[in-house]
Amino acid sequence: MLEIKNLHVKIAEENKPILKGIDLTIPKGEVHAIMGPNGSGKSTLAYILAGRDDYEVTEGDIIWNGESILEMDPDERAASGVFLAFQYPMEIPGVAGLTFLRTAVNALRRKRDQDELTTPEFMKLVKSKAGELNIDVEMLKRPVNVGFSGGEKKRSEILQMALLEPTLCVLDETDSGLDIDALRVVSEGVNALRSPDRAMLVITHYQRLLNHIVPDKVHVLAHGRIQRSGGKELALELEKSGYAEYGEEAA
Amino acid sequence: MSIAVMKTKAELSFAESFDTIRDQLPGGAGVSAARQAAADKFAQLGLPHRRIEEWKYTDLRNAMKEALPSSVGDETALTIADVIVALGPLAHLDASRVVFVNGAYREELSSASDVAGVEIESLAAVLSEGGERATGLANPAGPDNDAVLALNTAYMTDGSVVSVKEAAAVEKPLLLVHVRAGMEPGFTAVRNVIEVGGKASVQIIEAFVSLPGAVEAGQVNTATRISVGEEAKVLHVSCAADGQANVTHLSNWIVNIAAGADYGGFQLTQGVALARNQIFVAFSGEGAKLDLSGVFLGRNNDHIDTTLVVDHAVPSCESRELFKGVLDDNARGVFQGKIIVQPIAQKTDGKQMSQGLLLSPNAEFDSKPELEIFADDVVCGHGATCAQLDEDLMFYCQSRGIPADVAKVLLIESFIGEAVENIGDEDIVEAIMGFARGWLAQA
Repeated sequence: MLEIKNLHVKIAEENKPILKGIDLTIPKGEVHAIMGPNGSGKSTLAYILAGRDDYEVTEGDIIWNGESILEMDPDERAASGVFLAFQYPMEIPGVAGLTFLRTAVNALRRKRDQDELTTPEFMKLVKSKAGELNIDVEMLKRPVNVGFSGGEKKRSEILQMALLEPTLCVLDETDSGLDIDALRVVSEGVNALRSPDRAMLVITHYQRLLNHIVPDKVHVLAHGRIQRSGGKELALELEKSGYAEYGEEAA
Repeated sequence: MSIAVMKTKAELSFAESFDTIRDQLPGGAGVSAARQAAADKFAQLGLPHRRIEEWKYTDLRNAMKEALPSSVGDETALTIADVIVALGPLAHLDASRVVFVNGAYREELSSASDVAGVEIESLAAVLSEGGERATGLANPAGPDNDAVLALNTAYMTDGSVVSVKEAAAVEKPLLLVHVRAGMEPGFTAVRNVIEVGGKASVQIIEAFVSLPGAVEAGQVNTATRISVGEEAKVLHVSCAADGQANVTHLSNWIVNIAAGADYGGFQLTQGVALARNQIFVAFSGEGAKLDLSGVFLGRNNDHIDTTLVVDHAVPSCESRELFKGVLDDNARGVFQGKIIVQPIAQKTDGKQMSQGLLLSPNAEFDSKPELEIFADDVVCGHGATCAQLDEDLMFYCQSRGIPADVAKVLLIESFIGEAVENIGDEDIVEAIMGFARGWLAQA
């Protein structure tokens, strides 16, 4: 279970508060969506869960499986099951996709006290997961995400998620830059990972992703706080009324 | 009125020791005269210092405090097993080896006596034969006023004279191995002279390595003269990876590329405290290609300088340079790349890039591209960057469970990999990356 308690966050080098008291609980097995206008702090929440150090938590806590993760490095969080699918996945020139994936998978297996995968075992796993996501394994011999289209990058993120077997999946605007077909493939990939052992946090600006990944709960984030929570119908309501009633951040 | 410059201790002892050992150095009267002329030239020039523009970032007079005794006559006993240990990742390469220990050819350690299409001789033997050929080899064919080359001519003890026959396709790489071994600090000067006939193809690797446990202090001065015949294809790699704490590596490559030839050069420099690698390339025929890359890795107080001059003296040639340095602690990297495009060298296509990756706030990278273009119908460009490890990429790797130290190595390997992969040959790329990984693992 993920418990975010009264979380206050500011940008580390500045005095600008971004999150101003977030309270959010996601039990295992549930998918929660966070929607909100641009600049509301959605991506900040995603980064802070993954452990990016450009931000500073000034108050509150994040408890994952009963333990605070605030003091953990990003790789330790990954080992404890946290995974962030990036809104803008990074390109790593010079590092072959397969090398990157294998390094990550085996680093996590070591930390989770599992045996490392041999090359044939790893390749078998990659081929099966990549096939499900319509990813050509040949593409993974190229440097990570280099020269990939927007859709290919997002599918590559979901492939990483499938391989790393996280228990807390945070998806940051996974629908941005996707056409209808890619959106379906990516959503199917995410849905395939839904399980009673996994909690998911889907961050999105638009409701359309939630037609494919149907959430258990929807929260509206604006001005650094959760303004409203409801069922999946809340997303439909927002699609009609827009974020006007939550206003844009006051300048 | 001229002001007499005070000679440093090192300058004085180079001059003194030459007088002591000159009779032990190989060569007849002609060679001996060339050595004496070079010693005189060195006495006149002294060690280069920062007031000389080309040496602005590498003050050799200040950095080279002493002249170690010449290794001439060295007979340190070594076995093939020792050579394999010293070669590290290059030991796995299926190559014809020519082995030198402390600057002396060792036939019993070599495996290149019968390579099809190639004649390999010991420089010492050829110099001793005398005659015009010996005198010709004593001429470095490089810049006249270079003190480091002058020292090489005066002191060279041995090296390889390689002649690749016209149209020969040499199957295995030639590995010219220079091992530093033994307990006495010494100064080793070697020269390799390579001639590649027209339409021939060959891979040549020079390795400067040491035997584990060798004395920490050493000075190596190496000069390689290579002429690439018309339409020949050459891969020329240097791997300077001594690994001991206090080694100075001074190198010169003097490259001449004939019409239609394709020359690829690569230099790895790591595990040396002070290095100056000079590369002089001249195009002598149209339609030739130069693809030069390098990687230098420095930590502690290492100082590694690459200075190159490419002379487009004829039209329609292509030159590429890509040099990448990783610098930690107080290490300093220097890159100077001068590209001259002569008035007649129309249709020249030249591109140069140098990149430094600084791992510490005290590390430094000085990069000086110099384009001197006197022709008007050319495509030339250069770039230089200096950066730290990308924090966004570090976070991305870590968020996938890769620990920070592993992520750092992964990103550094990818940074230098782009230059190393220019070598093209997979086995050689793997060997060079093996050296680099060894260096990274010492952090």
